Amino acid sequence: MGMRIDMEAAEVAANLVVGHGRTRWGGTGLTIEVQHHAGGRFKRPYIRIDCPPQHWLAVAKWLRFEQGVDHCSMITGIHWPEGSDERRWEVVIHLMRMNVIDPPERGDWVEQVVRDASILQEEDVPLEFEVSICLPDTRTPSVPSVQQVWVGADWNEKETWDLVGIDFDGHVGMRRVLLPHDSPVGYHPLQKQHKLRYHDFEEMYDDAQGFQRKPVDAGKIK
Amino acid sequence: MAEMWISMGPQHPMTHGLWTLKVKVDGETVIDTEPDLGYIHRAVEKIAELRDFTKFTTYCDRLCYASANTWSHAYIYAVENLLEVEVPERAEYIRLVAVEIQRIASHLMWLGAYCPDVGNLTAFVWCLREREMMLDLLQELGGSRLHYNFPRVGGVKRDLPIGFAQRCRTKINLFLNRIQEYEAMLDESTVFLVRTQGVGYAKPEEMVNHGVTGPNVRAGGINYDVRWAHPYSVYDEVDWEPSVEKPSIKGADCYDRYRVRVEEMQQSARMVLDALDKMPGGADTHHQHGDEAILAKAPLRAPEGTSGFHHFEDSRGESMFYIVGGGEQRGKFPYRNSIRSPMFITIPYASKCMIGYKVADIPAIMGSFDPCIGETDR
Repeated sequence: MGMRIDMEAAEVAANLVVGHGRTRWGGTGLTIEVQHHAGGRFKRPYIRIDCPPQHWLAVAKWLRFEQGVDHCSMITGIHWPEGSDERRWEVVIHLMRMNVIDPPERGDWVEQVVRDASILQEEDVPLEFEVSICLPDTRTPSVPSVQQVWVGADWNEKETWDLVGIDFDGHVGMRRVLLPHDSPVGYHPLQKQHKLRYHDFEEMYDDAQGFQRKPVDAGKIK
Repeated sequence: MAEMWISMGPQHPMTHGLWTLKVKVDGETVIDTEPDLGYIHRAVEKIAELRDFTKFTTYCDRLCYASANTWSHAYIYAVENLLEVEVPERAEYIRLVAVEIQRIASHLMWLGAYCPDVGNLTAFVWCLREREMMLDLLQELGGSRLHYNFPRVGGVKRDLPIGFAQRCRTKINLFLNRIQEYEAMLDESTVFLVRTQGVGYAKPEEMVNHGVTGPNVRAGGINYDVRWAHPYSVYDEVDWEPSVEKPSIKGADCYDRYRVRVEEMQQSARMVLDALDKMPGGADTHHQHGDEAILAKAPLRAPEGTSGFHHFEDSRGESMFYIVGGGEQRGKFPYRNSIRSPMFITIPYASKCMIGYKVADIPAIMGSFDPCIGETDR
């Protein structure tokens, strides 16, 4: 028979982390709360953290080493050119507490870790985290890198810089990963000034993006 | 002998898609690697900003041709979290059947591609024969052979066709018999064992820290699975258990990663059979298109300030969509649609995993992580 974690235990576990977080980070401008997925069968709880950029590295270490958040699922960026003053750029990080451990060694063999989901409680319950970091209007958006905390953040940060143009302080080996290596400096296609719409093709092939080329039907009315 | 860099790719039979692996070798030993991706980057995330929520499922199908259904379902669950949609239970069962058949087909494609890499060409033909049965079943559901566009926001496109349940049971049972033949053939093939055992060791904690998930972690001896840890759909009601392998003391090698996928195919088959039995309303009834038993009403627009995400157990690990509402057309388009591809994170790890082994082990190690470049480059 299939299994799943107990939703009440998940609720308790999430509130526990939020309680720790409020004690630890009270007065720093960080907000932490339990939210719920709006669709699906279970309305799973997840923990939403709004973090000021200067505290992000410390918060990441707290999550990793005190709350057992061992998996960095995704780091992504959003460009809000028409957003509020304090949110022109946003970095969104999705983390998970998976509680994965190496199987315990028994002499020269190892014992499988087979967990029964329905009896997991408190610290053992897997949880989801969503961290949002907002940046004010700037030409050089940047947040601290967490490459050293989760190695999995490495390529996520590379991709976010490549596509969105948000830099990560302290990231070692930043480079283009999805776009060609010789893409023009400052060209990050997911920024909102780059349009995709067909009848805006003049803008799409704008020389400011450095491609120096025009479509064969330039100037014709579609 | 002097160290040197060798560029493997972008076109090489071992690489399964266009990407380059730069390998630094000392004699025949790999001492450093550097993956280079992005050859088939299609800017899917940018395209999503100009498509409404229903139209984007077709792009999700095309993220990975071997596992189209799981990708479009991962997207649809995220949209349902964004739009606050409740799905009818029958639709959840149909989705489960579709996703798990796709998982079998995807793992068969992997096994079929992996065995020739390590010197067993027969398995390639056998696996594709069984995969064709699975594709026939999916074709009955979705209407096309590889890219199904099957799920809808709030349900599924079609109910199970008349007679599908019987054909599905026959084919799955046939598959369960035949997979024993694979195991017999591969587990007793000296060539296969020599190439896969004792190479590419990886430990679970290290893998998770590097962002590797899914079957690759379960091969390391822990039964973590998104389907029970972050439950969705009706996985708690059907009969299955997460496949888990018993690794050696050094961690999971390529052989463990092969074993865990074979086991996972059997679990998926078990799930499909059980879901057909337990389906509300019976697997033999057929509702018309858009019937409320298989499709719930869903809003078209997501207001500004909303967002939704969903972690999904893809064939290759944990995939995820993060969608921000309030884009153009008064919220009909997403403002931002961000995709987490499990392979984009796994390929750098797998590349580091092969340091210290011989050049000849590169295909065996790389292939055992099940790379798929379509989803990696997006």
